[in-house]
Amino acid sequence: MKWMPTCRETTELASRAMDARLSFADRMALRLHLAICKNCAQFNLQLQEMRRLFRVETGDSDDAVALAPDARQRIAAELQKELDP
Amino acid sequence: MTRLDAQTWLAEHGDYLFRVARRQLHSDELAEDAVQETLLAALSARDRYAGDATPRTWLTAILKHKIVDLIRRQVREVELPRDQDGEEAVDLLFKQDGHWAEPVRPWGNPHTEAELSQLRRVLDECADRLKPAMAQVFSLREVAGLETAEICKELDITPTNCWVLLHRARLFMRQCLELNGFDQAGAV
Repeated sequence: MKWMPTCRETTELASRAMDARLSFADRMALRLHLAICKNCAQFNLQLQEMRRLFRVETGDSDDAVALAPDARQRIAAELQKELDP
Repeated sequence: MTRLDAQTWLAEHGDYLFRVARRQLHSDELAEDAVQETLLAALSARDRYAGDATPRTWLTAILKHKIVDLIRRQVREVELPRDQDGEEAVDLLFKQDGHWAEPVRPWGNPHTEAELSQLRRVLDECADRLKPAMAQVFSLREVAGLETAEICKELDITPTNCWVLLHRARLFMRQCLELNGFDQAGAV
């Protein structure tokens, strides 16, 4: 990596930093670019925000997603089979 | 534990488990399988349920294992990781010199439960639109929370391939979220 990565290269570094520890040189390059580039700084924040949103348990949300009646019946029947062998 | 519990679990927690599974598996059918396998596993393990967690917490813990199993099984059916379309789509996001083609707009700050619920829906829809190889790696990493080393081992790919897929998935996710109103969320 050159002393100053491009935005495209910076998004690769920022993404990889979410998954692994970067080398010292890569960490410095990332930090340097993020300090002067609003777009990449924003991108980096959004990576973290996405992770937060995905890892939150959202089974409680009130949206219309629910078991379809036929699926529910099928599952109930499978359970019943186990209950009365 | 009485014998009635399994049907009660389905009645009381079925929808909850389905929602958790649906947003990780991106498929109604797979999510239904996950719920069924979870309840059957819970039934056969009910003697080990100590009752120190609520039934929902206990069932959700079982569900998480089932979800990872289902993603793994599904991944094997997907060709990894040559995804040439991905490369071209990334090219469109950047100029020749490596700068962003479009400014990265900040996301809003959702306040109400309705706004949050709308954002979750967009999040799920965008994840559903990822290419299969990308969607699987992304789900294993961001939703199931596996380490990349585990993902590489499961899928038999190199860490570099894994990072390339994750990088593309993340670029596409944020673009999709922006196009679908994340940048206006909570705006007054």
